[in-house]
Amino acid sequence: MERAVPLAVPLGQTEVFQALQRLHMTIFSQSVSPCGKFLAAGNNYGQIAIFSLSSALSSEAKEESKKPVVTFQAHDGPVYSMVSTDRHLLSAGDGEVKAWLWAEMLKKGCKELWRRQPPYRTSLEVPEINALLLVPKNSLILAGGDCQLHTMDLETGTFTRVLRGHTDYIHCLALRERSPEVLSGGEDGAVRLWDLRTAKEVQTIEVYKHEECSRPHNGRWIGCLATDSDWMVCGGGPALTLWHLRSSTPTTIFPIRAPQKHVTFYQDLILSAGQGRCVNQWQLSGELKAQVPGSSPGLLSLSLNQQPAAPECKVLTAAGNSCRVDVFTNLGYRAFSLSF
Amino acid sequence: MSSESSKKRKPKVIRSDGAPAEGKRNRSDTEQEGKYYSEEAEVDLRDPGRDYELYKYTCQELQRLMAEIQDLKSRGGKDVAIEIEERRIQSCVHFMTLKKLNRLAHIRLKKGRDQTHEKVDAYHLQLQNLLYEVMHLQKEITKCLEFKSKHEEIDLVSLEEFYKEAPPDISKAEVTMGDPHQQTLARLDWELEQRKRLAEKYRECLSNKEKILKEIEVKKEYLSSLQPRLNSIMQASLPVQEYLFMPFDQAHKQYETARHLPPPLYVLFVQATAYGQACDKTLSVAIEGSVDEAKALFKPPEDSQDDESDSDAEEEQTTKRRRPTLGVQLDDKRKEMLKRHPLSVMLDLKCKDDSVLHLTFYYLMNLNIMTVKAKVTTAMELITPISAGDLLSPDSVLSCLYPGDHGKKTPNPANQYQFDKVGILTLSDYVLELGHPYLWVQKLGGLHFPKEQPQQTVIADHSLSASHMETTMKLLKTRVQSRLALHKQFASLEHGIVPVTSDCQYLFPAKVVSRLVKWVTVAHEDYMELHFTKDIVDAGLAGDTNLYYMALIERGTAKLQAAVVLNPGYSSIPPVFQLCLNWKGEKTNSNDDNIRAMEGEVNVCYKELCGPWPSHQLLTNQLQRLCVLLDVYLETESHDDSVEGPKEFPQEKMCLRLFRGPSRMKPFKYNHPQGFFSHR
Repeated sequence: MERAVPLAVPLGQTEVFQALQRLHMTIFSQSVSPCGKFLAAGNNYGQIAIFSLSSALSSEAKEESKKPVVTFQAHDGPVYSMVSTDRHLLSAGDGEVKAWLWAEMLKKGCKELWRRQPPYRTSLEVPEINALLLVPKNSLILAGGDCQLHTMDLETGTFTRVLRGHTDYIHCLALRERSPEVLSGGEDGAVRLWDLRTAKEVQTIEVYKHEECSRPHNGRWIGCLATDSDWMVCGGGPALTLWHLRSSTPTTIFPIRAPQKHVTFYQDLILSAGQGRCVNQWQLSGELKAQVPGSSPGLLSLSLNQQPAAPECKVLTAAGNSCRVDVFTNLGYRAFSLSF
Repeated sequence: MSSESSKKRKPKVIRSDGAPAEGKRNRSDTEQEGKYYSEEAEVDLRDPGRDYELYKYTCQELQRLMAEIQDLKSRGGKDVAIEIEERRIQSCVHFMTLKKLNRLAHIRLKKGRDQTHEKVDAYHLQLQNLLYEVMHLQKEITKCLEFKSKHEEIDLVSLEEFYKEAPPDISKAEVTMGDPHQQTLARLDWELEQRKRLAEKYRECLSNKEKILKEIEVKKEYLSSLQPRLNSIMQASLPVQEYLFMPFDQAHKQYETARHLPPPLYVLFVQATAYGQACDKTLSVAIEGSVDEAKALFKPPEDSQDDESDSDAEEEQTTKRRRPTLGVQLDDKRKEMLKRHPLSVMLDLKCKDDSVLHLTFYYLMNLNIMTVKAKVTTAMELITPISAGDLLSPDSVLSCLYPGDHGKKTPNPANQYQFDKVGILTLSDYVLELGHPYLWVQKLGGLHFPKEQPQQTVIADHSLSASHMETTMKLLKTRVQSRLALHKQFASLEHGIVPVTSDCQYLFPAKVVSRLVKWVTVAHEDYMELHFTKDIVDAGLAGDTNLYYMALIERGTAKLQAAVVLNPGYSSIPPVFQLCLNWKGEKTNSNDDNIRAMEGEVNVCYKELCGPWPSHQLLTNQLQRLCVLLDVYLETESHDDSVEGPKEFPQEKMCLRLFRGPSRMKPFKYNHPQGFFSHR
């Protein structure tokens, strides 16, 4: 099949370098603004780009609307996770968490509001922060390379508690609203449930020990977690499985071979993405409803814009091993891509 | 009356018109004259008045008789009829008289008419004659009046001047004043006199001119004999110049030949010589080619026209016999269009290691562009490794000196129209013999062409060449040196050794187990067909001006293929690597994040690998780093518990953590001097 060759533009040193940077960019995290009109994306070079969803989705959208409104260097290392409160964007990567004001970020040369580093045990290497979680009563939970969960009070900025239990670094966090409990999944292959009031581990599920879902050739690591109070879905090295929490039994195993890096509940579906181009939509029964291809060879994060203030920007965005963020206006197909 | 009438016999009336009748009738006339009664003669005898009286009387009688007949008829009776008869006879006689009178009247009328006719004609003729004569005389008069004599055409001097200048024996004032005829005669005389004098003067002037011309000839000859003598003096002084180390003559000669250079080459020559004298002693400039041919290009047009008319006549004969084919004609036209100026400028750039870059600049006259041919000679003989074939080839050694300047297309947009006329598609077919028309060459010659894409800034023409000279010379030197460095490195790479210089050793750990096994050139099309290079092609980084190579690194059962894009602007533009690992399946950047991270380590983080300036070590350092990365990758691969047997590659590298981050990256960053691996 003839491949259409693009015209080679005369490239000087800077253009070549920028092109190479974009080729090797990975977007690790996304977060939607409280007004619902903007999307922040963080990449492996430590940059955060703010895209205007409302202008990219409008009918007069041009090519420039798919470029970021502003891009700035937020961290020295990769930005592994981001989360938004009603006024702030919190971003975390190499060892510290920084806060930015959403209203200020659209101006160039914006500075972080504050930055904090949780108390780490080791000093040889600064561990990364892989997951951020907002929990009720204005607290933030950080988890990552040092195998612990740290709780930080957002008003005072102090680190209140440390939850230990994982034997290898933590990949992901999820909040079980009812109890309230926090679930964490890590490289050691276990999903642990922590009670926030007592700060103790209440339940442990070692996924790799269950034969139906373990896949030794992929490893035992748990890359993604999502919970719906009674149910939990997790994936990673082992297969993507739906668990009933109270009984700690796997109920449905989703037949996909590629390790999944992000999973979430949406209405009556489960959306997952990981190695491979597609966003997968599953019925709770385990049937694959749809596989919608994106533009990146692998996906690392999915974000659903469900902010009530901007119903016209209600889209699903997916990002991963490329400089592009795919926008799905309708879960059936990819509408367009925003690009760094 | 009645007796007269009874005497009458019924004549044969001879009607005649009064004009002489035909001969026959004439005879009959004379015959009958004596015999017959001629009424015409009678007409002459009778008196018209009397006839008129007779006529009136006869009419009266007739009226009376008619009245009597009437009476008798109305009366009636026997003897009436006899009476009536009598009266009837009498009336008949009267009728006869009337008839005669009528005839006579007619004859008289006729005669009278004829006579008047004759008279009128005679008068008419006379009138005509007279009128004709009048006209004739009038014509003669006008002719006489219009007569102009020749003397009136001559512009004579005005009267005052005449009287002033003419000598008295010609002007004869007393006579001429009164008589205009004499005056004119005198004036004509004076005119003749003057003309004779002027003719004399003219002859004298002509002879003067001849004399002066001869003098000029003599002096010219004298001057022309002077020039050879001066030349011989100059020749004699050459040995003296050499003895004193002042090669003015040589430089002068060069400037002499430079005068015949076409303007762009002249600008280049001047600027290069100036730069060489001021900044760079290693630059030398020379002019090559035939000066006579250059002079021949500028023959004056009249000579060539005369030649043309002769040669046309000859050509007509030959072309009638043999017309050259269309293809040959087109070929000739093409050759004509691509003709080079006979003179060319040679620049020699000496680099530090005694290698020389020879540049020959040509000027294509009809296309108004300059081209360059390059050659690299080294101090020592170079053994060219197979993969280095293109590095120093004259065709590609100067490609993309400035980004995008590939030298395959003519920079002058006007040439496209010229090419269409002779069927040349593109100049790239002819660059091998003509040289490459790079944009920097045009700029060195001061030629400025509008770019195809609109650009914001406009560069002033005058300083174009000067401003580019220094940058271009530096770039040329860097280019030659980096190519030569690559040349040497390729020789080593082909033998499986990655040559890492001692000042770059700190970038790598002491022990590197993976080895480079193969290093080959790859064609552009083959590179594009590889399945793992799609991203680079789509990003527009794989043009046809780049050089492509394939490296194979092995360790144990693992084979890593690296496809390399070498930009002509190496080493300011880094080589770009794309990897494909064959070990427990095929892993490329689309299915393995760690392979993608390895590519990022050599492609994006290349600045650490540049080494000391001028960073000729970049490529070899990148290759060595790839070997290190492969080592790390293989050793840190997590062991699959379900499979039996030991790990193929035991971990020997010191790593703080094996996996980090959501993508579970391996520790690819080497820390010196601690010697451990960590994550970026």
